[in-house]
Amino acid sequence: MGFPVSLRVDDRVVPDGAGDAVFAWLREVDARFSPFKADSEVSRYGRGELSADELSADLVEVLALCERYRVATGGAFDVRLPGRGLDPCAVVKGWSVQRAAELLTRAGLTRFCLNAGGDVVVSGGPWRVGVRHPELADRLCAVLDLTDGAVATSARYERGDHILDGRTGRPATGLDSLTVVAPTLTEADAVATAAFALGADGVEWAAARDGCEVYAVLPGGRVLRSAGFPTAAAGAPA
Amino acid sequence: MKRVIPALVLSVAGLIPVWRYEPSTGTTSTTESASTPSVSSSTSSSGSPGSTTFTGTTVATEKGDVQVQVTFEGDRITAVEMLKQPDHPQTTAALPKLVAETLAAQSADIDTVSGATVTSDGYRESLQAAIDANGA
Repeated sequence: MGFPVSLRVDDRVVPDGAGDAVFAWLREVDARFSPFKADSEVSRYGRGELSADELSADLVEVLALCERYRVATGGAFDVRLPGRGLDPCAVVKGWSVQRAAELLTRAGLTRFCLNAGGDVVVSGGPWRVGVRHPELADRLCAVLDLTDGAVATSARYERGDHILDGRTGRPATGLDSLTVVAPTLTEADAVATAAFALGADGVEWAAARDGCEVYAVLPGGRVLRSAGFPTAAAGAPA
Repeated sequence: MKRVIPALVLSVAGLIPVWRYEPSTGTTSTTESASTPSVSSSTSSSGSPGSTTFTGTTVATEKGDVQVQVTFEGDRITAVEMLKQPDHPQTTAALPKLVAETLAAQSADIDTVSGATVTSDGYRESLQAAIDANGA
């Protein structure tokens, strides 16, 4: 999948290898679940070389999550689009980085901030998490205070129109940027992608999900956020 | 008025299962079948001429108390108001409150940046790269 991963740990005592385990796990995920690697489990399953009962428990879990979000969005979020191979990246990323954060917690760490290509899991805050401005790469459009939880943003700026609306098969263009705060990154990332695919209707859909807070930038510079979105007290102005 | 009261009792009783209905995301779903709560129209106060407002008794459900107020114009229900409803996550989640704002650009002291997936090329120019360089 190829994204940069940053890990900051503020615990006084850090067990040997705790950080290495995170990076090893994420490399393993890439090898097993990347649709861009011909010999990955996902690619082999997508080509029909593996039957359902030959799948690993991890992939079964990922596919179940994919199906849950497909149903919840009426098909807007779909990892099996016609004419394309199986691509569960949108679920795998959040799920695997959440799992990585759980590795840190299990190793005894209580204060850390893990950022995987723009998806964030924090523990033992307060942490100040900026949301990238959709047009100005070096600016923020929001800053939030988070103690424990996850933040994911879907937007069009980096890779262009890469999120497709599964209902039409065409790029989702109803929103410029959508950020979701949720208890886990599994939920935050999948909901952000799914809501982005839904377009303008996705804002309310995401805000209605248990435990999710939403910040959306609509075309034209209008912002819609849920009342509980944990915006930080006014920071230093630009 | 005698004619109206049974209709009210049915209407109020009818609202309870509606409120109790919760969209289930799981595989099992429970349906409320038995135990229709006994609701009686106790108090009544009149609004504008020709309209009558009834307040139902408070009904305890497993999620909390429910009390409704129904306004009639003759035989017709013109308004139903929930006087009491449980403060249950599903009740609040069903009606997300969205706040409208205007997009602003800011820079601030932050620990990390959330953004759509950053590629290695994008990362070199990113705020997160600056934060990481600062902490390294």
